[in-house]
Amino acid sequence: MSGRTMRAPGAQRLAIVGARLVDGAGDHGVGDVLLEDGVIRAMGVGAGAGAATVVDAGGALLTPAFLDLHAHLREPGQEVKEDLASGLAAAAAGGFGTVVSMANTTPTVDEPGLVAELVGKAARLSGARLRPGAALSHGLRGETLTDFAALQAAGAVMITDDGIPVTNSRLMRSACEYAAELGLVIQTHSEDPSLRGDGVMHEGAVSQELGLPGNPDAAEAIMVFRDCEVARLTGARVHIAHVTCKRSMQVIEHFKALGAPITCEVTPHHLTLTDAALRGFDPLFKVAPPLRAEADVAYLREALRRGVVDSIGTDHAPHTRAEKERDLMSAPFGLPNIEVAFPLLYTRLVGAGELELPDLLRLLQDGPADVMGWPRPRLEVGAPADLVLLDLETERAVDPRRFRSKARFSPWADERLRGWPTLTVVDGAVAYRMEAEAG
Amino acid sequence: MATVQIDLPDKTRTRKRNLLDFADWSVDEVGALFDTADVMAQVLTRTIKKVPALQGFTVGTLFFEDSTRTRLSFERAARAQSADVISFAAGGSSLSKGESLKDTLRTIDQMQADLYVVRHPAAGVPHQLAQWTDASIVNAGDGRRAHPTQALLDAYTFRTRFQGFDGFEGKRLVIVGDVLHSRVARSNVELWRMLGGEVVLCGPAPLLPPEMAPGVRHSYRLADAVEGAHVVMALRLQRERMASGLLPSLAEYVARYQLTEAVLRTAQDGALVMHPGPINRDVEIASEVADGPRSVIEAQVASGVPIRMAVLYTLLVGKR
Repeated sequence: MSGRTMRAPGAQRLAIVGARLVDGAGDHGVGDVLLEDGVIRAMGVGAGAGAATVVDAGGALLTPAFLDLHAHLREPGQEVKEDLASGLAAAAAGGFGTVVSMANTTPTVDEPGLVAELVGKAARLSGARLRPGAALSHGLRGETLTDFAALQAAGAVMITDDGIPVTNSRLMRSACEYAAELGLVIQTHSEDPSLRGDGVMHEGAVSQELGLPGNPDAAEAIMVFRDCEVARLTGARVHIAHVTCKRSMQVIEHFKALGAPITCEVTPHHLTLTDAALRGFDPLFKVAPPLRAEADVAYLREALRRGVVDSIGTDHAPHTRAEKERDLMSAPFGLPNIEVAFPLLYTRLVGAGELELPDLLRLLQDGPADVMGWPRPRLEVGAPADLVLLDLETERAVDPRRFRSKARFSPWADERLRGWPTLTVVDGAVAYRMEAEAG
Repeated sequence: MATVQIDLPDKTRTRKRNLLDFADWSVDEVGALFDTADVMAQVLTRTIKKVPALQGFTVGTLFFEDSTRTRLSFERAARAQSADVISFAAGGSSLSKGESLKDTLRTIDQMQADLYVVRHPAAGVPHQLAQWTDASIVNAGDGRRAHPTQALLDAYTFRTRFQGFDGFEGKRLVIVGDVLHSRVARSNVELWRMLGGEVVLCGPAPLLPPEMAPGVRHSYRLADAVEGAHVVMALRLQRERMASGLLPSLAEYVARYQLTEAVLRTAQDGALVMHPGPINRDVEIASEVADGPRSVIEAQVASGVPIRMAVLYTLLVGKR
């Protein structure tokens, strides 16, 4: 299943035959694609003839591989949680062909040399493509700006202090002004740290019942408002990461209606879990911003349907099992989800009739591409051969023991889902292929 | 030594494994605990204050947060029944913050205790530990969440000290002060309502969020809250609430929320005054009240041992 095999001389041509071809432009019916030199060489019925390797799709859905603008791959320095090899392999297993990595590593990715190192290393790995994010401030300390232009030249595609809110509004303004001129996207982790306090979950009836310090929705909405105002003021492209609550979404709707250059993201877990999940006191469900109330989840889903949300980003945030077996105050925030994101949302949203499949695909393909100003991924001759084959029929249980991620646990363990990726191709090479089932 | 035997009602033989909170406890089971505590209290009046009831059992006290009073009370309760006691003073020592709880427990479990008494600054830790050990867990206070033996001893004190006690139905408990941060308040709300009583919460708004205890009356005025009360419980006010900007001055708190004789005049005749301790004399409670005839603060401390004896007995005897 290695990409290297596919790149060997005389074996570059890979054909996927008998697939239902769907992209953001529509449903192109059943046909074949022939991939060569990292691009789609031919498309249509019979196009796969003469390939060295032929995959029979059996009518499964072939579509451009997903784009994740938000994943914590933990390299450098936190390889005990995840590294580029495991993280990019996990992404490919989740159907993602491109991943934007977050900079809250050890050290922080705040220098061009670190970005170049990540890009160089990832190029030698099989799995999803890496498009690194870089820090907005040195050491994520929110004091001084990093060298955006040099970071961009080294390969950084996004500027973000994700994990730590930028509290200094003047710094955020400067960052936006500077990024706008360079055409860089700023992604924000919008929470007011003073109002969040030591909150470890959504503040509300459940947090009061459980006696756990709460983090109110207002802490997020206040900062979303600030970030939207700064975007309006500067004209910078600001992408609001992991929007979790109704109030934040309403603020974003308000600014979008004004024409402010705002885009926003929601995560698979904020669309499928509520604060009630904390009732079992499992720190696995401790995430930042927190899982919200049922009404918030309902509002996020409605926002998806209305097209207010630009992208689904996973915020895949792996930790070690031991870190997640601490107490709720000291366990770290975040959960791994990149390998189950699509089946989870396909089953819970599309399967339940809450969202149409093309809308879900848009949020993982054209949506994130538009956020970044990248070409929309298409199934057409000459387009990059970054593809995913999705089995929408077969129900399979989530089995964290088989994760490529080092974080082999999941809130959805044993849950039966449909929509599993069976093959992911990146740059014309097989980056993931589902193993034959045990029985 | 024939006098050391005790005679306990059959109904104490529940198959309860843990006391984490009262979620899976019934009114009858709590009533049986009180009956058992009566027997234990009687044992404690004897010359030789020790029975062999839990001989051969080992109780581990696992305190991740300092609390000499509660730990001593549990240790006394274990030893008075001839259980062996091992103490893990985990607060800030080798069991450092951030270590996996599961790893910590695995190490300690090698001592083969039959029951752990657990206190931790984070809510939920006793629940987490209960999933990972076969030993029983008694919650001795987890974060802001629960302190069930304190609520039991408070209710038991009411049962033994309220003149003409005829049950908890319709009896009004008023809890005054820093409700937000109080596990004592949360456990008392849970237990008192379960027993059929009524609860009123009173305190300054930043310490009494609207989402607290749905269905329970909230009041921000002490005089209104206290009217008709059968028990008034003052909570300890931490000075850091002012320092962290949650409250105005101490003087303003005292003026509005201190329990005084004057404000207690509208309570029921024979109303009791409680405090989980340690008290800030003349802050949340005036000395005249703390030392006055309504005060049962010392009786609460005294009730701690028989109640905890009853809890340990009830959870362990089923393992025989």
